[in-house]
Amino acid sequence: MSAPPAKSSPRDAQVMGAILKDLGVADYEPRLINQMLEFVYRYVTDVLDDAKVYSNHASKKSIDTEDVKLAVQCRMDHSFTTPPPKDLLMEVSKHKNGQVLPLIKPYTGLRLPPDRYCLSSTNYKLAGQRTKKQSRIQIGLPMGQFPQRLSLNPLVHGKVSGSGSQTALTVVTKSMGMPTVTLVTKSSQQQHQQQMKPAIRISSGLNPLGGAKSFNLTSPSINIQGASQTLMGQPSLGQMSLKRKHEDDDYDNPT
Amino acid sequence: MAGQTPGMFGSSRNVAVNSTLQNEAKSDFSDKQTLLAVLQFLKKNNLKGTEDLLKREAGIKDDDVIPQTAPPSETDVSHALAAYKSADDPSLYMDHYTDLKNFIESCLDVHKVELSMVLYPVFVHMYLELVYNEHERHAIIFFQKFSIEQEDYYQDDLNQLSTVTKKEHMKGNQLMENFKGSRFVIKMSRDSYNHLKRHLQEKKMKPLLNIIQEHLFIDVFDGVPRSKQQIQATSGAVLGENERDANKAKVFYGLLKEPEINMPVEEEEESVEVTDKSKKKKVKKDPLLTKKAKNDPHAPQLNRIPLPEMKDNDKLEKITAYREALRRVKVGRDHPPTICFYTMLNSYKGVTSLDIAEDSSLMAAGFADSTIRVFSMTPQPLRCMKIASSLEGIDKEADDVLERMMDDRTASDSKLLLGHSGPVYAARFSRDRKYLISSSEDGTVRLWSLFTWTNLVCYKGHNHPVWDVEFSPYGHYFVSVGQDRVARLWSTDHHQPLRMFAGHLSDVDCVKFHPNSNYVVTGSSDRTIRLWDILNGNCVRLLTGHKGSVQVLAFTPDGRFLASAGVDCMVLLWDIASGTLLAQMKGHTETVYSLCFGRDGAALASGGLDCSVKLWDIARVIQEIDTEADISIPSSVNVNDNPKLLLESYSTKATPVLALHFTRRNLLIASGPAQIPESTKT
Repeated sequence: MSAPPAKSSPRDAQVMGAILKDLGVADYEPRLINQMLEFVYRYVTDVLDDAKVYSNHASKKSIDTEDVKLAVQCRMDHSFTTPPPKDLLMEVSKHKNGQVLPLIKPYTGLRLPPDRYCLSSTNYKLAGQRTKKQSRIQIGLPMGQFPQRLSLNPLVHGKVSGSGSQTALTVVTKSMGMPTVTLVTKSSQQQHQQQMKPAIRISSGLNPLGGAKSFNLTSPSINIQGASQTLMGQPSLGQMSLKRKHEDDDYDNPT
Repeated sequence: MAGQTPGMFGSSRNVAVNSTLQNEAKSDFSDKQTLLAVLQFLKKNNLKGTEDLLKREAGIKDDDVIPQTAPPSETDVSHALAAYKSADDPSLYMDHYTDLKNFIESCLDVHKVELSMVLYPVFVHMYLELVYNEHERHAIIFFQKFSIEQEDYYQDDLNQLSTVTKKEHMKGNQLMENFKGSRFVIKMSRDSYNHLKRHLQEKKMKPLLNIIQEHLFIDVFDGVPRSKQQIQATSGAVLGENERDANKAKVFYGLLKEPEINMPVEEEEESVEVTDKSKKKKVKKDPLLTKKAKNDPHAPQLNRIPLPEMKDNDKLEKITAYREALRRVKVGRDHPPTICFYTMLNSYKGVTSLDIAEDSSLMAAGFADSTIRVFSMTPQPLRCMKIASSLEGIDKEADDVLERMMDDRTASDSKLLLGHSGPVYAARFSRDRKYLISSSEDGTVRLWSLFTWTNLVCYKGHNHPVWDVEFSPYGHYFVSVGQDRVARLWSTDHHQPLRMFAGHLSDVDCVKFHPNSNYVVTGSSDRTIRLWDILNGNCVRLLTGHKGSVQVLAFTPDGRFLASAGVDCMVLLWDIASGTLLAQMKGHTETVYSLCFGRDGAALASGGLDCSVKLWDIARVIQEIDTEADISIPSSVNVNDNPKLLLESYSTKATPVLALHFTRRNLLIASGPAQIPESTKT
């Protein structure tokens, strides 16, 4: 589609034209030379920048061939990934092809993967339901009582802001994605006759929709799991999560 | 003593070494290292005679000598590359090669053509050995002298190889790894093979023998040597031809047994007096159906692979299809088809793929700007399904519930689907027109619903551009192929692939399901075609013969034959049962991108970048198949390349033909993007 770069064009452009000719490419748009020049410039500057960083790290005075080699290698692994080698592919395929084709369940409507892998859910969350930042979980307690809280968990990353005051709200800041167990015990004059029941509230890290609502409690409506103070296994307590659990991973082998 | 007589200096060295040997204890392992060190020293100083002698006396094989320059990595590649190590003098290579060439020239004509097949792989491996042993200058001279003499269809590969001039280049080059990793296959008759073996043994050319033994696989058959035409027909693939065993497995190429549907046979001139009810109640078994009901020994069992059951909708669809098939026109030798061409204007550089639905009512176009557009080819516009709240209000028992659930306010002639982040290389409809599957350069395959016109699922598995994707004729499964050299079989309800078909040496460019949905055929840039069995993932057929990348494949409606075409502008017809090439149809002048068989399998239409649609006579090929020939002997297979196979050729003005589709009544629909001619051309 175009002749090689004219004699008057810069030397680099002529080099590009020669490379294309060497590889047998006869027909190309003139834009290609420019694209190749841009690519070369960007690639070389990136590699040299990386090499500079490496040589500084090794406290060398100037860039060495080894630095450049390392820079090239890192960039190759990062940007220019080639398809996996044949032997790896054969191994993986042997493993995969050994599994029997799953049966097709009859009478189902649309056959799609579990919801997690589909794009059918909304990609927004309504703002009105959350009054605090997402990472906090509120545990509201009845007014006028001094909550004594033991938060026993090695899992809580964030800090626990205790309430020494008479506020009824205690806020536990924790990072997302970690289900935590917070043991809350209350004692009050009013409820002396009641047994001290530890109230355990569990919420999974993925904050279900209603999770952060502030509770307006007059009576402990926090889920009570029993008198034991031991830290029970997470999965069994996680049943109240609103989200569908991961049993859908086993949908090929119906339990 | 050895045949060579070393010079004075050499002989004195010889004596010294001999005495060293005698002094040290024999076959002591730690001494072996010393021996190796001595060998290294001799090699460095180029004392060839002494070195050979020492090697022979000490019984050290070539492999034990580890060159000091060997790369420290433990990868398979470097292990394999180390086999290239050779202590021979580089200039010997040229001489050996020329010698081999002269020998072949001097043979009888019958043997000449077969033996000349050896030249290409020998040339490549010699060159790579020279490069590995760092004789760069010799390598370049060797390459320049002999590369032009190789066949045309190898020139592209040779161009790639020409960039490998230093040892460091070798690791990254995929073509090189292909050559190194597998053996080049050549089929040769026993006479020619014996001839070659005798000559090589006489001449004692060590590097040549080494190369032939290690890197070539000569599949010897008993029979008459093949003619040049026969050899040309099946050569061209990156690694030679296919071995005899590659095509031995049994392939079930028949169609699946159709379930019997009670078809109410309506007649055109249904008079009003006759009550409809009585006619409809009468169940007639159509003769066509009863014929298929017989058990076809070549057809797979119905439950060989799990397939979705037929729903009422599907049965209705079958009935409509059958009725239309009754009104089908013949297309063949004396009946040229009627062609309806849909040109896409103002989008030449944008359209990357086109597909037409099975009942010809929809067309999907994938664009380079990552959009997909679905057009309606009938007067009926495309409508969106109503939203959930409105859907609850409609009566589900009504007859026209499928109409009622569509929202007429959203009717339009075309719908735009957005979601990919790279050019869309394939967009295909499912048979029931409920889904569209698309693949793109961003490595994802996306499933779209044609009721809500939204993206349902995004399947991530390939990390590289996905070149083609196709739905199974029975739905539920689809297969995608891409640059990572594997084909993956998915089902719509699994987010990970069910099968991975690995074996190609280069990008896989096109894929098609067999009509019985048990097999998948893939065409690749390594110029081979492979047929895979879905049940266990095995490659059951390997077809070589294309001289350029394979871009498009098509099965006959009865599933017996496969047509393929690509960059080499030839359309090849294969017999799946035996894996042999039946016909070579030449006529196109540029890459062929689309193929479609007529609904009765008597004609094949092909179109490509040369802006023309060509019609080929398949009925004649089938007629002229020699059923007596023994296909196990390659030389008795004759390829039909009769120029009379080209029936018609229709040219467009300047529109490459990207899609071809025969409707149920055998009307040919073709489509392509109009190529606006460049006004300035240098």
